[in-house]
Amino acid sequence: MAELGVTLGRLRLRNPVLAASGTFGYARELAGVVDFSLVGGVIPKTVTCQPRLGNKPPRTVETASGMLNAIGLDNDGLEHFIAHHLPYLRGLPTAIIANIAGKSEAEFFEMGERIGREAGLAALELNLSCPNVSGGVDFAIDPAVTRRVVEGVRKVCPLPLIAKLTPNVTSIVPIAQAAADAGADAVSLVNTFIGLAIDWRKRRPILGNVTGGLSGPAIKPLALRMVWQVARQVRIPVIGIGGIASIDDVMEFLIAGATAVQVGTANFYDPTACTRLASELPAALAQLGASHMSDIIGTLDA
Amino acid sequence: MKDMSAAFIQMRVPVERNQPVARNTYLLRFRAADMARSIKPGQFFMVRLPQGSDPLLGRPFALYDTVLDETGTPVGIDFVYLVVGKMTSRLSQLRPGDELEVWGPLGNGFPDLADVEHVGLVAGGIGQTPFLAYARSLRGQRGYGDAALRKQPARVSIYYGVRSADLLAGVADFQATGAAVHIAAEDGSAGFHGRVTGLLADHERPQHLVGCGPEPMLHALADLARAWKVPCHLSLETPMACGVGICFTCVTPVRTADGWDYRRVCIDGPVFDAACLAWTE
Repeated sequence: MAELGVTLGRLRLRNPVLAASGTFGYARELAGVVDFSLVGGVIPKTVTCQPRLGNKPPRTVETASGMLNAIGLDNDGLEHFIAHHLPYLRGLPTAIIANIAGKSEAEFFEMGERIGREAGLAALELNLSCPNVSGGVDFAIDPAVTRRVVEGVRKVCPLPLIAKLTPNVTSIVPIAQAAADAGADAVSLVNTFIGLAIDWRKRRPILGNVTGGLSGPAIKPLALRMVWQVARQVRIPVIGIGGIASIDDVMEFLIAGATAVQVGTANFYDPTACTRLASELPAALAQLGASHMSDIIGTLDA
Repeated sequence: MKDMSAAFIQMRVPVERNQPVARNTYLLRFRAADMARSIKPGQFFMVRLPQGSDPLLGRPFALYDTVLDETGTPVGIDFVYLVVGKMTSRLSQLRPGDELEVWGPLGNGFPDLADVEHVGLVAGGIGQTPFLAYARSLRGQRGYGDAALRKQPARVSIYYGVRSADLLAGVADFQATGAAVHIAAEDGSAGFHGRVTGLLADHERPQHLVGCGPEPMLHALADLARAWKVPCHLSLETPMACGVGICFTCVTPVRTADGWDYRRVCIDGPVFDAACLAWTE
């Protein structure tokens, strides 16, 4: 039997299949169908400092082999998360990686410090890249800002840090490099691609927020390209995200250089996708004669 | 906050029947004994085509009725759908033996209304689909899930509005429950000439109203219930991506102690007390 464990800086996972933030609720919604002990880890929905209503509906629309979403970080705020969701999450038999988004650099530091004092978290993912927050700043479009946010949180929070990056940039490598230089344990990429869906008869956008982030199988080749580029050029581990729904998708990301993967949109249309993919991994490794994850990660012959 | 970890089942199921019941309207039956045993009126399930990624997401469908075997054990599920887009037109082409991916039962379902003597069910268009099972349970004909059979049958009046008569589906099924069925067609091609809320206003007030249909109709029904001072529950049909509470797509504004907040229709609903909805937000 292959050894599925992976190491991302200071973070150890029993297997490389994670549930992506914003696509798995607060995990308890799936308690009836998902055996959490089979999943490498769970990243609950992004938490902001203060409660946020989120965007006006319609919040999602299906597109060809994908979907656009503009949820707008609907959540009840950090203190509610800590009081209400964290006690449940820390009792689950899997790695819990909290995900936070600040409105400002200072807010990231404040939230990182606060959540870093809580027990039961395996790591902290910084959502530097939510495209749907009106008036919000996308921190991960500028290497200097990415560096300052990661560095600042690193100083006040003892948890392993993952910087979640946006693909909506000219070049993602310098931004991933900035996260690495600032002390991130890993980068996760990619978040969604900004897109637009239109009802031409009404001459109206379909989403309440006008634009939204594209996810699902449609973005997989775009994400693979970015994972491959970053994994070759930046020394910290990459967590691949983008349309992963089958074991073939998982293997492609690992071969491209991802040390772990996050399953996102697939959770919406296959609520047990994460456990299924984790259970299919040993047979896929065996096909390549691999006994450890390190035998396949980043082995693309290109 | 209520426990959200209610168990649902995800399974691959065979289609047993898929037949037209009105213009652009089909009844699909699939075999799923576990789900049929636990589902209750007003609950729904997600349906997806197993192969391919376009259409990608599942679609929510309400329970029309459970199917019993010769011993009276629930073994299958019927749902009724209107062909409106890519997914439903693909559904309409399925044949017996084809497979579907389904997960459910989902949502809260209709209120019990054990002490209500006369219940008015108000359906707009394809919004009729959840009312057959509900009418049967209110009439004491059938128990669903773990609910006991109702001993004292309620009087049930069904008000069913369509755009035109060729869209009427399941009227004989509704009549077979012993409910009084009243029809309205907007074009005058059947029953009352006009909207279903106009039809309802012409009749005796039930003690409790339950509605399902397009949002403008639900607004009108909520307004009428408020004017009549009759309690009213509404089953909402907001677009959903996951059906299980993890995507936060299907939200609707709901009154809270200090104003309003978005609530997920899939797990906090789809049935809401009309007085709790904050539609103007």
